[in-house]
Amino acid sequence: MIEVLLTGIHSSIQDLGRFGIQNTGVPIGGAMDLTAMQMANSLLNNHKQSAVLEMCFKGPKLRFHQSTTIALAGADMNAKLNEKPINNFRAIKIKENDLLQFGNAQHGKRTYLAVAGGFKNPKILNSRSQYQGITPEATISKTKLIPIGQVDLNLQKGARLTLTEPNQNDIIPVYNGPEFHLLPKKAQDQLAKQVFTISNKNSRMAYVLVEKLVHELPSIWTAPVLPGTIQCTPDGTLVILMRDAQTTGGYPRVLQVSDEGINSLAQKSTKDQFQFELTSF
Amino acid sequence: MEKALPFRFFITHPKVAVLEWDTEANPSPLKQLIGFQEAILKEFNEVSQITQGYRSLMLYHNCDIHYLEDYPNRLYLLFDSLSTFSFTKQKTWQIPVCYEESMAPDIKSLANQLNISTATLVREHTSANYQVNFIGFLPGFLYLSGLPKVLECRRKSTPIPRVDRGSVGIGGKQTGIYPLESPGGWHLIGKTPCSLFEPKKKNPCFAKAGDSIQFLSISKL
Repeated sequence: MIEVLLTGIHSSIQDLGRFGIQNTGVPIGGAMDLTAMQMANSLLNNHKQSAVLEMCFKGPKLRFHQSTTIALAGADMNAKLNEKPINNFRAIKIKENDLLQFGNAQHGKRTYLAVAGGFKNPKILNSRSQYQGITPEATISKTKLIPIGQVDLNLQKGARLTLTEPNQNDIIPVYNGPEFHLLPKKAQDQLAKQVFTISNKNSRMAYVLVEKLVHELPSIWTAPVLPGTIQCTPDGTLVILMRDAQTTGGYPRVLQVSDEGINSLAQKSTKDQFQFELTSF
Repeated sequence: MEKALPFRFFITHPKVAVLEWDTEANPSPLKQLIGFQEAILKEFNEVSQITQGYRSLMLYHNCDIHYLEDYPNRLYLLFDSLSTFSFTKQKTWQIPVCYEESMAPDIKSLANQLNISTATLVREHTSANYQVNFIGFLPGFLYLSGLPKVLECRRKSTPIPRVDRGSVGIGGKQTGIYPLESPGGWHLIGKTPCSLFEPKKKNPCFAKAGDSIQFLSISKL
């Protein structure tokens, strides 16, 4: 068990999400930065579906009620184990009563904490990803005890990663969306050349961009969307749908962010800037 | 003269393609959308799931679409081979709704806006046979068609931040039930005790695209 002493700004348990039931309106969900999640799990030889703790901006304060092994990946969140700094991208032994705490994220916004055997909160609709309306809570809460795996890892064997840099990619690969061809050339060029800024409206559901598109596209018949779909609202606002986005939408879909691009965006937040790289197949 | 393709095929992601119907040529493609969906899932192992909109399907593949042979030609051939589009086991659901004012914060104002009595509003809303086009927006949110013309209205100019779960609303040409608490801009005309979305069940949403819905007026008790 892990006890939550402080929750941090936005900490939630995530795995690869709920795939296969999007036709009931359930978002896929899952970790925002899937690459970082995979790295953390790989270091502990965890199954790739193992649930991790996604920590955003500033992480929680946790007390371990059992021994285990942990690994951190993603942004540098100034992790301290029993008040001593520890590094990301390493498997680290934990003893019963150990205290883990975090500062503010640097070189990115989201850090993933993996534990040997994974987090074991109950699965709902085949996933442990927390989501308002599906799991009892959308984030971890204070004083709660979170069950985790009981796996004894032999650290002499297993995968190691050379200390690696967090993802700070400022070029986001995108594909044309289904309604891209309806945009005037000027707007298409703007998408390719403009430096875009993330507004303060950003969350696991969507990132709203500051810069607007000049266009005259009408609304579309409500159509399916997926994480990475970029919608353009009537006033030109660009909305990048992220992991917890709704499954259908009535706004034109102008671009589609690649899988790699979503992971890069996951490490960005308010005022961060980037450019799109239009990619063809 | 080349025959027009029945739907547009567009690859939006290495593993995801969109199939889009022309509503000018085909104003109600619902039967085709649902029937074709079932046929694709039966015939193509490469398609892992399909989601739906008013006039489009989104196909998720378990491999890069560009590696698939004879694609999308095989999709068009399958479509052409289906002489009729029927979907299996449509059901009709009767959903009890309490239209009393304490459960329907906007029923009076909407009736005023439409220039009808609340009794007429309830009678019209409960007399129609609605069809589930697809489910989206929120888990268990049914997109229904078939709202009587007399009930068509403008959405609220300012959506409210919190609509209770189970609220029944009308907005534009649509009606539906909020399966979860959420912000919303529809006029709230009633409430149902039914749960539209049960996350603990293996099949969390009882209704499917193609099913029929009728609303039944019930009293507060």
